[in-house]
Amino acid sequence: MKQYILLSAILLLAVTAFSQERYFTKNGHLSFEAGTDLEDINAVNNAATSVFDAGTGQIECAVLIKGFEFKRALMQEHFNENYMESDKYPKAIFKGKIINIDKVNFRKDGSYPLTIKGLLEIHGAKKEIETNGTMIIAGQAVSAHAEFTVLLADYNISVPGVVKDKISKTATVKINCIYSVLK
Amino acid sequence: MHMWKKTITILVILVIAGGAYGWYLYNKKPADIRKQTNCIELKATALAEAFNQDEAVANRLYVEKVLIVSGKVSNVQVDNAGHATVFLETGDPLSSITCGFYDDETGSVKKMVPGTIVRVKGNCTGKLVDVILNKCSLAE
Repeated sequence: MKQYILLSAILLLAVTAFSQERYFTKNGHLSFEAGTDLEDINAVNNAATSVFDAGTGQIECAVLIKGFEFKRALMQEHFNENYMESDKYPKAIFKGKIINIDKVNFRKDGSYPLTIKGLLEIHGAKKEIETNGTMIIAGQAVSAHAEFTVLLADYNISVPGVVKDKISKTATVKINCIYSVLK
Repeated sequence: MHMWKKTITILVILVIAGGAYGWYLYNKKPADIRKQTNCIELKATALAEAFNQDEAVANRLYVEKVLIVSGKVSNVQVDNAGHATVFLETGDPLSSITCGFYDDETGSVKKMVPGTIVRVKGNCTGKLVDVILNKCSLAE
């Protein structure tokens, strides 16, 4: 009887340990679009760092503003100097929680819908956001993607009147991460 | 030619030249880091140490500068979209130098083997957990 109790305890510990694994990436892809019909404005950052806890659902993601790559040099310069003030605010950070992480079965391949809620800090301003995403489990591979829209005014990013027809009042942000187990 | 005709001709030329220069600036692509010659060369361990000691000073010294960083490859990742990333050891198991390569440099990254010493040329964008370089290539 004692052996069964001991075995059960070990199995319980193993399952608990498995479900509480932490996953991370240092080369997540984050892109945004903030253009209009008059102007294409988009950029990509291929070095997003993100970590999440499979047990609690706590998740963090950060990017360096100067890591965004544009197709045009002048656009990149204006983005850093005039709009994001990247010398003063070098990072954008999200800290939050995957509310329904308990619905993700990390031992079963599949696509799982996510609801993510937390605090997004851009340009020194913080704002609560909630968005949906998807987590894909394929064997040992764990990936996640999400898309959401931010209002530039919420983050004190002002657009001069002379270019207001070319820059959208909102930015659509897409993030795609392939995670590894944090050992 | 009358004086006023000369003046108008010069003005038209100046306007056209100004417009052409503006158009050139507007469409100018970001600099190709591979062609930059003004580089700072240092070891991966020294770069990581500089950011650990004083991030503000390291930002001034290295961010938006072209670096040639030498170090031991700890990991190589190429995703399905062809984005290649090389990680260099820094002596700290929790942090490394993350080097995001140009998409057309993926072929050279695929040949890299963890444990080998490489020299990577790239643009430093700052530090999160790792010090990050983008637009990387193997230094000649």
